[in-house]
Amino acid sequence: MHLKYESIVREPLVDGNKTYRQVTEDIISPIEKKPGKMWYIGFFISLILLGFGAFSVFWEVYFGIGVWGINRTVGWGWDITNFVWWVGIGHAGTLISAILLIFRQGWRTGVNRAAEAMTIFAVMCAGQFPIFHMGRVWDAMFVLPYPNTRGPLWPNFNSALLWDVFAISTYFTVSLLFWYSGLVPDFATIRDRAKTKFRKRAYGLASFGWTGTAKNWQRFESLSLVLAGLSTPLVLSVHTIVSFDFATSVIPGWHTTIFPPYFVAGAIFSGFAMVQTLLILVRKILSLEEYITLGHIEAMNKVIVLTGSIVGVAYLTELFMAWYSQVVYEQDAFNWRIIGPYWWSYWAMMTCNVVSPQLFWFKKLRRNIPFTFIMSIVVNIGMWFERFVIIVTSLYRDYLPGSWTYYSPTWPEVGFYIGTFGLFFTCFFLFAKYFPVVAVAEIKFVLKTSGDNYKRDMAKEDEKSLEEFVHENSHH
Amino acid sequence: MNDRFEVPARLRSTSLLLIGVGVLALIIAFFTLMGSHSTDADHTRFWAGLLHNSVYFAFIAIISVFIQAASSLAHGGWIVAYRRVPEAIGANAWIFGSIAALVVILTILVFKDHHGHNPIYHWVHPDGDKILEGKSAFLNKGMVIGFTVVTVALWGFFGRKFRSLSIAQESAAKNSTKGYFKFMIWAALFLVVFALTMMSTTPWIWIMSIDAHWYSTLFSWYVFASSLVAGMSMILLWVVYLKNNGNLSIVNKEHIHDLGKFMFAISVFWTYLWFAQYMLIWYANIPEETTYFITRQHGPYSILFYGGFIINFCMPIIILMSRPSKRNYFTVTTMALIIIFGHWLDFYQMMMPGPIGEHWTIGWYEIGLLCGFVGLMIFTVSNTLSKASLIPHNNPLLKETVIHIS
Repeated sequence: MHLKYESIVREPLVDGNKTYRQVTEDIISPIEKKPGKMWYIGFFISLILLGFGAFSVFWEVYFGIGVWGINRTVGWGWDITNFVWWVGIGHAGTLISAILLIFRQGWRTGVNRAAEAMTIFAVMCAGQFPIFHMGRVWDAMFVLPYPNTRGPLWPNFNSALLWDVFAISTYFTVSLLFWYSGLVPDFATIRDRAKTKFRKRAYGLASFGWTGTAKNWQRFESLSLVLAGLSTPLVLSVHTIVSFDFATSVIPGWHTTIFPPYFVAGAIFSGFAMVQTLLILVRKILSLEEYITLGHIEAMNKVIVLTGSIVGVAYLTELFMAWYSQVVYEQDAFNWRIIGPYWWSYWAMMTCNVVSPQLFWFKKLRRNIPFTFIMSIVVNIGMWFERFVIIVTSLYRDYLPGSWTYYSPTWPEVGFYIGTFGLFFTCFFLFAKYFPVVAVAEIKFVLKTSGDNYKRDMAKEDEKSLEEFVHENSHH
Repeated sequence: MNDRFEVPARLRSTSLLLIGVGVLALIIAFFTLMGSHSTDADHTRFWAGLLHNSVYFAFIAIISVFIQAASSLAHGGWIVAYRRVPEAIGANAWIFGSIAALVVILTILVFKDHHGHNPIYHWVHPDGDKILEGKSAFLNKGMVIGFTVVTVALWGFFGRKFRSLSIAQESAAKNSTKGYFKFMIWAALFLVVFALTMMSTTPWIWIMSIDAHWYSTLFSWYVFASSLVAGMSMILLWVVYLKNNGNLSIVNKEHIHDLGKFMFAISVFWTYLWFAQYMLIWYANIPEETTYFITRQHGPYSILFYGGFIINFCMPIIILMSRPSKRNYFTVTTMALIIIFGHWLDFYQMMMPGPIGEHWTIGWYEIGLLCGFVGLMIFTVSNTLSKASLIPHNNPLLKETVIHIS
């Protein structure tokens, strides 16, 4: 047996005197109870938003894309802004489940389940926008390359937009598999505790007959590793390819080589902010403060200040290079971003993404829950503006001054965006009700190394001298 | 537990021999390349060779400081078993930084061809070039030398500070975490410095400004990735050497496996940035930007362009992919040597096409200088390593690192 030891500098990942049984009880029991009044209110509001979104989309499909505010000069507006925004949010889940797994970050176990769910819902929301942006949405299958009866008509493989179709759909598939495979042992736990016949059947079906044998776990572990290996490049590739949608062009403000890594950093930034928003609420409502601890929140805030600063370096690099390039078009594009008619969007982006996250350098603020909650929303406002700045303020003054324009969205565009919030939260409410929001099996995995009560027993290891400690543990 | 390192006589004499080769190459070059029968091309080769080697090794040294900062902020326990190695390399960052700074400054101030131009840094004399005149608010002697001096001073300071903080922890009370958290504050400060130097300005002024018209926003991050993988490999070489020497008894295959993983992962990351920069410029096909890659991909540099890709991407990904190869001392050591040489070539192809033009050579001079810098690295780092315990006693993560599983 490998020694369960962890340094005193690490905070416990599970607070309180938890046993395996208590962990199951704490996380599974909310699923077995009737949801509270707040759940019904929230769910109902989400449904209304979703309905309004569906109506807005219906309006757009029925009357055509002309009901949106986009025009010949600004061909991409709120739709693509929202697409990129949602895809970006969808990055945290896979980062947490894949990259943090590879980096052996134990704290991921408290937050990965909810983050992965959020990823999947966010990618579902994102996918709506390019589809309905097509206008004639019934022709959407034309983006899929398959041997067809349309003669030699294939999609344009040279187009970054087509790469995006592949990137997003692959990402969605792998994220879903990852999330679901993690859920299997937990579904079996719910099944084993189920009191009603229907619940036993339903969760039994969902758990694929998991019995928790050593072989089950062995296969589960190898699958996790394979999926983590597949997802790691995907975390980078998805937003890289989204950035190619812009950077492969010759439009000043879009064509810049730093876009791929900077989009990825920004995506992780906004994804973690969304995870914070959701988990601060979830831990409170479902009383999961002992599993999603202040330490978890602080760790995520560290990721936010890191990625926010990376994004900041990228913004300043872009700005500097626009001047340094001595290309007048680049210089003007950035000049107009800063002092042109859309100045407010540039400054909103700079303030929310670069300036205010710097407050997270202070430990007190990283561990302050109301402050974190507000910041998590500020960051996502900032990241929305980032995409708006990139898209609209690079397009509205093109090479031909005669076609310069000013773009504002119309109600179906705004309604569409609101509708995706409805979709997102409808899914999330259902998830929080029927699924274990914290990965039970994975918490048990770290409990004896990082649980508060177990960590107290490690003091005797810390008292040993190094020689003694090495001598006792050097037989592997 | 043998945690003291005494520089073996053989290592010392090898390092002195290598330094000797480097100095000899420099002296011979001074009399031939800079001699009375030499051409402008010879002069350029002299300065460019020095610039290439000194900048590369300064970056490798500062990467060790960065790795300490990043891993301690992330509470990384994996590196603690051998953290004296990056500490010792980082503590000598001031030496390699100063050499690079000196070479950059001399190249700017002293070097001229017979027309009075500067063939390496064209911006020193814009001579009516509209674009270079436009850039002159940034690319001018005062600004570049100022940035260089401040950067190197800060790097040197942090490199030494980190080591002294870490050694101070040895004499702290048992299980005291005060020093540990104090280190984190300095590490966070360093990351700010690092963002403003290595991740942005330093590669612009030292390397990108050689092709003074050309620009790429990604450039510094690309240079960072190149240096990072070389710096990681350098750490691995020291760890394996010390292990073979009978030191670092708490280091085992788990720790070697970690370093192998990083060499693999950062090689892939480097390729990612390589591809991002290349593909976007190729796809957009704007002449001002493609000129950079046209001179490298076609003509005499193409062997470096494709060869570098094979050495720095294909070899690491194929050879280091499997678990056993990352746990094999011979494989990782060989790969580390290959990676360090591969990125030395990468720096060469970044820096030479501008000043040298078509007739590049990697000959006695370039290899001689490389030997000299390697010798200096061995000499200085081994010296520093011998000055303190190789095991960072009292580090709160030390016991974790003993039972670490990769």
